[in-house]
Amino acid sequence: MNAKILTFSSHGDTTLLEYDPATADMDEVNKAIAEYEAQTGAQPFDLATGERLEKVTREQDEVLMVHPIAGG
Amino acid sequence: MRFKRGGTCMMRVNLFLIAFFTLIIWRFVFAGLRCRPHVRAIAPRQRRPNYLLGGFHISGHDGVRINAASRFEDRPGGLGPLEPKDRAKDYLRRIVALTGATQMGGDYVLDVGTARFYVSYRYVRRLRDAADPKCACEETCFYPVHKGMPKVEEIATALLQLANNPMLFDKWAVKNGLPLKADGQVFTHAQ
Repeated sequence: MNAKILTFSSHGDTTLLEYDPATADMDEVNKAIAEYEAQTGAQPFDLATGERLEKVTREQDEVLMVHPIAGG
Repeated sequence: MRFKRGGTCMMRVNLFLIAFFTLIIWRFVFAGLRCRPHVRAIAPRQRRPNYLLGGFHISGHDGVRINAASRFEDRPGGLGPLEPKDRAKDYLRRIVALTGATQMGGDYVLDVGTARFYVSYRYVRRLRDAADPKCACEETCFYPVHKGMPKVEEIATALLQLANNPMLFDKWAVKNGLPLKADGQVFTHAQ
């Protein structure tokens, strides 16, 4: 378990998912991320580069789900 | 007398052997007790049924763990546990470094292309062309749709989003109150 998907929450940060990138089924991980995005609007960012990710691969070991922002 | 002396000697040898074996047994028992948590930690995980926790749904799969909440995570970089408030500050520091922003008083100054953003708590100003001294400063408010997030994480969220998509500033200013995803799309709960 050395990769994780986390988000900022009222607790500060919350780890949503932990997995071993060597053995985890990345399709399942991406499916879970897509479901979370559909429910909350949060999108994945690589915490190593700060870039938004279209798809999480085995290369990323810390991914932040960034929630939507409203303006005005 | 000889018999007695020999008996005493035998008794001492026996006592020594008993103590010796007790120590050996104790060492193994003690070592076994210490090893148990480690064995538990590296034992292969059981195959699990479907999950539905904290908004994540993953069909049964080995090597994946889902947490509803973890308030005492390890510090990023493995430096030990921190309080959520400290971790939030830690994440802001990391995101400031990642985006190349700099702190200036209460603002975080972020340069993206020719534009310069001054991000503070729920408020952001923009100079479209930081090199142009006549460039007017525009401003807008922002707030995350997710309630209760620590202030520093709200700032970190805005920095990450603006660094990746500076056009979000215009959308925040125009689409008053509409939640926008990091890619600029409007988020509707019906999605």
